[in-house]
Order: sequence, then C-alpha cells, then structure tokens
Amino acid sequence: MIDLNETIIEKKNFFNRLVFVYLFFGMLFLFFLYRTFSLQVSSFTDYEIASLENKTREILIQPRRGIIYDRNGKIIVNNRPSYNLILKPSQIDNIDEHIEMIGNYIELSEEDTLYTKENFKRKAKLNRELVLKKNLSMEEIAKFESRRYKFPATFVDERYSRENLYSEIFSHAVGYVGSLGDDSLEEILNDQNLRSKETIFKYSNGYIVGKTGLENTYDKKLRGYFGKKIYEVDASGKLLNELKEIPAKNGEDLYTSLDISSQIIAYEQLDKRRGAVVAIEIETGAIVTYVSSPSFPINKITNGMSQADFNQLLNDKDKPFFDRAGQGRYSPASTIKPAIGLYGLENKIIDWEYTIDDPGFFVLPEDNRIYRGWKKGGHGNINLMDAIIESSNTFFFSLAYNSEIDELVNHLSHFGFGKNVCIDCFIPDDGLLPNPEWKMNTLNFGWFKGDTVNMGVGQGYLSATPIQLAYYSAFLAKKGTLNKFSFIQDINTTQEDTFMSNNLVDDDWKNIHKSMIGVIENPKGTAGRLRDLKNYAVAAKSGTVELVSTETKEDYQIIREVEGQRDHAIIIAFAPMPNPKYAVSVVIENGESGGAVAGPVAISVLNSLINNE
Amino acid sequence: MGLVFLYSASQGNIETTVKQSLFVVLGLILMFLLSQIDPDFYKNNSLLFLIFSIVLILITMIFGKEVNGAKRWLDLGFFTLQSSEIVKIALPVFLAAYLYDKPLPISLLNTLISMMVILIIVNLVRIQPDLGTSLVIFIAGLYVLFLAGLSWRFIGISFGTFILSLPFIWNNFLEPFQRQRILTLLDPNADPYGSGWNITQSKIAIGSGGIQGKGYGEGSQAHLDFLPETETDFIFSVIAEEFGFIGACILISTFFFIMLRCFFLAINARDRFCRLTIGGLSLLFISTIFINLAMVVGIIPVVGMPLPFISKGGSSLLSFYIAFGIIISMATHKKLMQK
Repeated sequence: MIDLNETIIEKKNFFNRLVFVYLFFGMLFLFFLYRTFSLQVSSFTDYEIASLENKTREILIQPRRGIIYDRNGKIIVNNRPSYNLILKPSQIDNIDEHIEMIGNYIELSEEDTLYTKENFKRKAKLNRELVLKKNLSMEEIAKFESRRYKFPATFVDERYSRENLYSEIFSHAVGYVGSLGDDSLEEILNDQNLRSKETIFKYSNGYIVGKTGLENTYDKKLRGYFGKKIYEVDASGKLLNELKEIPAKNGEDLYTSLDISSQIIAYEQLDKRRGAVVAIEIETGAIVTYVSSPSFPINKITNGMSQADFNQLLNDKDKPFFDRAGQGRYSPASTIKPAIGLYGLENKIIDWEYTIDDPGFFVLPEDNRIYRGWKKGGHGNINLMDAIIESSNTFFFSLAYNSEIDELVNHLSHFGFGKNVCIDCFIPDDGLLPNPEWKMNTLNFGWFKGDTVNMGVGQGYLSATPIQLAYYSAFLAKKGTLNKFSFIQDINTTQEDTFMSNNLVDDDWKNIHKSMIGVIENPKGTAGRLRDLKNYAVAAKSGTVELVSTETKEDYQIIREVEGQRDHAIIIAFAPMPNPKYAVSVVIENGESGGAVAGPVAISVLNSLINNE
Repeated sequence: MGLVFLYSASQGNIETTVKQSLFVVLGLILMFLLSQIDPDFYKNNSLLFLIFSIVLILITMIFGKEVNGAKRWLDLGFFTLQSSEIVKIALPVFLAAYLYDKPLPISLLNTLISMMVILIIVNLVRIQPDLGTSLVIFIAGLYVLFLAGLSWRFIGISFGTFILSLPFIWNNFLEPFQRQRILTLLDPNADPYGSGWNITQSKIAIGSGGIQGKGYGEGSQAHLDFLPETETDFIFSVIAEEFGFIGACILISTFFFIMLRCFFLAINARDRFCRLTIGGLSLLFISTIFINLAMVVGIIPVVGMPLPFISKGGSSLLSFYIAFGIIISMATHKKLMQK
C-alpha cells in the first residue's frame, strides 16, 4: 500500500499525464473541426459537383447537322433518315419469346438475334436500350407500327446519316464526316460548356464530326449544340429515372458560294486525270469551283466502306485523297510572266516601249550559262506585250536578271505566292516563295543570280497551289486588289489585299489584260486553239512546267516516255473581258501543254459560269 | 440520436433499426445495473473478468462464425457477440486494478508484466484478424500504464524501438490488403475505383453535405450505394452528408462534451483504481471516435472501426454501455474518507 505522501504525488502525476493526453485529443478535436470545415465549407462546391456527377448520368442528344447548299440554294449535303428497331430490355421478361414474336412481322438476321440475346441481360440490368435491327424498310415500319400495341417495350427510332448528293464532285471541297472519337467529344463538350463526364452512347445519336473540307472548317456551325437527358443512377450504373431533358439545338445550314454545275463540268473535264481546277468570283473572292482529281466516293467514306476498298483508294498511285487544289505544289512556269512584267514596270526597269533582242536563249554574264527559250531561233526584237503573248523566256530571263531578288520576292508575295490566300480552306498549303535566306537555311547553298533568272519564268524553287494560282489570276483581273478567298459569300468583305503601287497606272493593268487576251486571240499567242471555244473575250496565260530540264526537243521526246516525267500543263484565265467576273486556274499533271490541255478545261468552266447566268 | 442516424444510413431498414434499439435498451439496463455496483467489486474481480474475456476469445477462435475470412463473432443464438469488444473493457480495468497499489515510478518488472498481458491479448485479437480493435486494445492498455506512471525512460526507449522496427512490422505483420490500405491513404487518387473508392466516396459525401446538409434521408452518396459500409464504419459520412457541417459539429461537440466530463470524473475519482479505470476507459472511448473520424475523412487508412453509440453493431454498443456503467459507478460511489 502506498502512503499518503505518495498518493499526493501520484495524484499530481496522474493529473499531469491526463492533461497531457487530453491536450493531445483536444488538438485532434480542433483539427477534425477544421478538417470537416474545409471539406464541407471551403471545398463544398467541388464536392457538391463530385456528388452530382456521381449520381447522374447523361445521354447526349446529337443535334441535326446543318445542310450544305450551293450558291443557287441547291442542296449539296443532306441528312438522310434511317429507321431502327429498338428494344427496352428492362421491360422485357422473356427475350426469346419477344424476338420470336417480332420475327413474325420483321425478318431478323441470325446476327442481329444473336447480338441482342448476348447483350440483353447487361442492358436490362443497366436499363439501357438495345438495337434489334438497323435500316428498316418502309414496309417493315408499317408492319410494325400497325402492331405496336403488342410490343410496348419496342419502338422504331430515326437516326440520320450524312449524304452528299454528288458523290465524287465535292469530295475535297466539302469533305466528309466521320464518327467522333472520345477526345474530340470531350473537346466539343467543353466548348459547349457541357461537363465532359461519362456519357452514354445511345443508338440514335450517331456522333459525327466533320473530318475534312468545309465539313471540318465549319464543323462548329454545322454541328449545333448537344442536348442531353439527365438520369439518376446508382453506384452500379443502373439508370433509375429521368431527371431532366435539355433539347439539342440543330446545326446551322451552310450556304456556300460553290456552283454545282461548274463543279460538275470541272470534274468531267478533268476526267480522272491528276489535276485541279479552282474558279473564283472576282468581285467577292468567293470560291465557286474547287475540284481536285481524281476523286473518291465520299458517301462510302462517311457511311462505311470495306477495308479492301478503302485500302485500294489509299494505295492508289494517283492519290485520290490528296487535295491537289489546296495542297498540290506546282511551279507557276510561264503564268508568272505578267507578274514579272508588272515588277519591271513598277521598278521602272522597263516600259511598254522597251525591247530586247531574243535570239532564243539568254546567257548569264557571270558564268556564261545558257538559259533557253521554248522556240528555236527566238522571237527576234520583242517588247513586253509580245513577250507575254508569245511567252518569250529570254525577255523575262533578262528582266529578272536586272531585278533585286528581295524586291522581286516582296512583289510576288502580293500576288498570293508563298502565303495562305483562303480563309476557310481545309489545311491549305502555302506553296513556296523562295528567297536567299530560305535557300541558305534549307539547302545550305547561297543564292545564285541564276536562281533569280529562273524565277523570271516561274521555274526553279518557286511553287504555288492551284488556289494560289487562282488568286494570282483574280488579282491580275481586279488590277491589284482582292478579297481573301472563302467558300462563304457573306463573310467576304473584310480581308482585302491591295497592291500598294508607286508607279503602276491603270493603263499598265489594261495592257497586261490586253496581252493576256492576246495569248488566245493573237495569231502568235500560245493558246490560240482556245479561240473558238467561247463567245466572249478571255484573258489567259498558259504555262508548261518542266519537270526534267532538257536541251533539245529530241531530248524531251526521250524523257516523255515515262509519263511522270512529262511536263505539267497549267493555265490561269479570267473572263469575260473587259469586265472580268470569274478567274480560274487549271493544273493537269503531266498534261504537257498549258494552252492545249489545261486551256480547254479552263474555258469549259468559264463557259459554265458565264453562260449559265 | 444514434438510432435516427442509423435508420437513414441503413436506408430505412426497419429491422436493423429495431434490432439496434433493442441493444440500446439492453445497454441502458446493463449500464444502470453496472453503475449500482461498488467499484471495489470491479477491483477485486478484474482478473476474473480478464480471464473470462480471454476464454471468450479462445472459444471464438475455435467455434466462431467466419465472416469474410475473419473469425470474430461468437453466435449466441439471439445475437452474435464480438468477443474482442469485451476484452477491450476488461483489459483496462484489470491493468488499473493491477497497478493501483504499485509505487511510483512503476518498476520495470511491473511494466513488463503489464506489457506482457497487453501484448498477449492484442495478439489474440490480431490473429482473428481484427487489426482495428487490436490496435485500440493496445492503446487502451498503454493509456492505463501511462496514467499509472510509466517511467518516461521506458516510453522513450520503446518509442525509439517502435520507429526502428517499422519496416520489420510492414514486411512481416501486415497482410497485403492492409499494406494496400496504407498506400491508398498516401495517394487515394492513384486508384479511385479500386482501393481508393471508399475514401474518395466518403470525402465526396462529407464535402457535398455543405453547411446545412442535404436533409435527412436525402444523402445521394449513401442512398445510391456510392458509399460503402454506411451503417458501420462510414456512418459519420452519412451524418455529415445529410446534416452538413452543423450536424457534424453537434455530433463532434457531443463527443467532446462527454470527453470533458470524463476528464473531471477522472480527476475527482475517489481512489487511484477509479482514476486509472475512468482515464483508461474514457481514453479508449475517445480513441475509438478519433480513429473512426480520421478514417472517414481520409487521414488514416481504413481499419474497420465503428463510431461509438452511433454505428450498427450490438457488441460495440454494449461494450461502451458497460464502460460507461463502470465509469458512472465509480463517479457515484464516493468513499466517505477519500485518499
């Protein structure tokens, strides 16, 4: 037994120790209050959202995608309804019996039946819907609807698939749609201020998104806004009841500047050859024709094609998926000459009276290298106008030789070279407007005078896409001012490119037009055979893109044995003169003659645009 | 109060609630009876109680009902007894009775004897396995030792040893699922649908309660089955979800009040045995509360620890009524001549 004194010590000791432990718990107590406070008050919003997300699931309702029209209000792309037979498994007791009864009226394939039976239990448990048969015929719908009362847990629902009314004509311009990946869905939902959380994919809302062309560029507008049905769910994911429905907002229709008839003409004229046609309404900068050839069947891409067919398209040596109009790079060749001529006039290197003697070749003084023209013996004594009409190389070699490369590059950039000229094209290529810096950086070579001389006739490193060539053509037609291109007419008033000239006067532009008319009308013109294909005046400049440099005509005959080595045919044109409305560019790969091969295509398209008004 | 909460937590399960109310009535009667007995009775018979409860555990180990791989329950027909809940009370009482007349500071021999008793019982419970309860028993034993005047030197040495042997314990004594729980605690978001599910959902439940709560019976986390073990371990989450910060504060404050009351009872107790017993039992009660709370707000791993007086479970409820019966007995039976 412990004595009194010890008891006092013991009591004190006990008291101290108890206080010690209680202080510890007191602090813990405060800490818990703080912790609960921080969870419930400070982070309340976060957790409230988390709790809401926990107990609700959303079924997205896809809005109907906008219709795409041509400039005359004709439909290019539409939504085609198809009808599917849907089951509500949670309301069906005996699936085998149910399927057998429906089978009396609607023929069900083995595959459909099997799929339904396999998924029935799972869907019933989660209270989800199940597609029994897709693409019902009108007859099947009628048969079912008249017996609908027998099947309360079954119904017919409509879904839309995208249909382009002109399968191959608009493949590159309008582009195709495809199913939406999870990533892009999340992006879109964020975009529309919808929470991106687990969303249930429902049979009827075939989530589609524009993959290429206008379908892609204007996807946001065409798509509309997702609606949603909000369901309460339990922890196992079973849908309990619908809490709320927010209807979808349908996509806006798209009224394009494309012209169906000229588009068809261009497609037919290209006739599956590799090439491209772009035509522009000069006043607005609206793209009316945009065809790349060869094309591909767009509805099959959208609504499913066999892997074999797809691989065949993918491996086709003519590369049908490649958008030559917006992404193909071609040397402008002789079509560049009017722009070079304007450079000479602007910088007062030449005037319209200035002549040179053209012996058929140009000798570069620095190293005596010879640059040849296309005509043996040359064009004799020749001025700017004739040099354009007859396409004298020597004249422009000489003019380019007397140019400052940096100024020349700057000059050409106004005509659409080396830059994007289109507001709403799908991944447009900028082509290449080379300068000494570029050459040093990419090729590790200094700029030679010969490079400048080559640029004078549109050969060498310089390259442009058909849409850039069309821009160049329209820029010449509109005398140095032009809207940026677009497929939509009404947005096309703001972005204008104007050529700030110091020395060019209206007469200079008129003379350029005159010489380009001469390319067709003048007996010496390089595109004389186009003369009788139309009933109005056309200004044009043809070009022939040398892929392999040859000294003589005989040498060319040898290399042309290989089709891929033949020259590209190229032409730019605008009409009707003297007040041009449309500008066009045509490129035909390995077509050999700009005037004779690309020319008729350009004239056909212009005819379609001008004569149909 | 506990019954009302339980009704919602069990999703309106009348049977659970009625059964629990029976235990409450039984518990209250038991508490009243125990409070009438003179403390000396506990002091003199503590060894008997301890032996009785150890026997209970041994019987459980042999004849116990196996649930989820754990043999913790003894089927008594009308209810299943969780034997570890009884030893939880018996141990502190025994230690208090053993130590009350030992001189200060407690000698090494007495310390070792006490530790032996503690460790044997803790291990018996641990192999059931019931890690949560065994920890609480261990702590309860230590409290009594500590309050009785365990030498600081011993405390320092054992604490150091404990820290050093942590890796050894980790590797040899913990089951894989227990390790997983500890890892989950460190980063609950690493596996939100797997091992982190409980803590994540519990935090969501508490957090989404806000200041006022969602209303009684309106807790979506609890009622749509997102929250696990709503009737037992996670009942605080349910309360916090439905009654908000206000409700949680009231509940925690009630516990705090009981805690303070016990403090004064302990200080004013009539002799050393009563002091130690009240101290030990009340700290046992408090520790259980804080372990449960810490678990549901994600501070410590999920160990399976009910919230006293609130959670479902007859054994736990009864054991705390017994504990408070003993406390009340010691508080009411004053000796005429104290000291």
